[in-house]
Amino acid sequence: MFESRVLPVKNKLFRFAFRLLGSSEEAKDVVQEVFIKVWNGRDQMESIENMEAWCMRITRNLSLDKIRSRQRKATDPIEESFDIQNDTQTPYEAAENNENMQRINQLIASLPEKQRQVMHLRDIEGYSYNEICEILELDMNQVKVNLFRARNSVREKFIKINAYGL
Amino acid sequence: MPMDSKEIGQLLEKYWNCETTLEDEQILRSYFNGSDVPDQLKDAAELFRFFEVERKRSLDTNFDHTVMRSVKKTERQAKVVSMVQWTRMARIAAGIGVVAIAGYFVRNEVMKSKDQAKAIEDTFTDPKDALEETKKALMMISKSFGKAKTGASKINMFNEAEKKISGKDDKENDKASDKDSKNI
Repeated sequence: MFESRVLPVKNKLFRFAFRLLGSSEEAKDVVQEVFIKVWNGRDQMESIENMEAWCMRITRNLSLDKIRSRQRKATDPIEESFDIQNDTQTPYEAAENNENMQRINQLIASLPEKQRQVMHLRDIEGYSYNEICEILELDMNQVKVNLFRARNSVREKFIKINAYGL
Repeated sequence: MPMDSKEIGQLLEKYWNCETTLEDEQILRSYFNGSDVPDQLKDAAELFRFFEVERKRSLDTNFDHTVMRSVKKTERQAKVVSMVQWTRMARIAAGIGVVAIAGYFVRNEVMKSKDQAKAIEDTFTDPKDALEETKKALMMISKSFGKAKTGASKINMFNEAEKKISGKDDKENDKASDKDSKNI
């Protein structure tokens, strides 16, 4: 039950935590904490309708707790995202070394918290609007507004960078 | 269904306005992962490629092993916690036990005294016997009263004597006060 329902979503949880924290070590810790929480509450697992959304929500909450407990400057997550390449590289991460990929990564990292979360869930994980509402505990309108702002902000900045080399 | 760049451009406009469905976005994704993307769509293509790369980011293979180990470890800790809870429960149970036993003994005592009361009630079955016994008892009380009365009459004598003495004193006091008033 645990291994068939929860373990398969581990990479989604990891990517979400990573998007929020910008550090793969911390993201791993968060995923582990989520699993421990789920394992301890596995008796109530039957009553949870959307297991995946529930896990994603816990991942988000734990990640935000971690960010709060860091008590560092607001600019840090962006800087930390530079460090990713120091980890052992998979072929995908090697592709990430591409200059444009790095730029986009920075642009997304510099988005406000909510916009970053919504964009990640929609454009990377492909969740429906309803699922995003459930995970982030936002209403439909807020989700769409945040997604709209995120997409257009990344688009405009990326065009600017490519046009003027900023 | 292959799409030309014009249709993709239109779909992309919908995408920027958040009007695309998940299916539309899937079409865009597979289009931009193709090789021949016209120049005017290059920026969007980079963005979609970035999403594709990010979607494949994954945990290393020994993560399952690590996580299961840490999960089992916390379970052991949870068992220790439950032992602590067990001793707590045992204490509460012992407390309840003491109260219950005390209650049992108190109840026993109450029952015993009730039995004694019943035994007294049921001594006489014949009303005549009961009457005789009552008369005897009353006689005994009456005799005691008699004795007490003779004793009390002696005390009464003292009282009367005291009254007489105090009465004289009062008369003398009155005479004295009369003299005083005449002097004034």
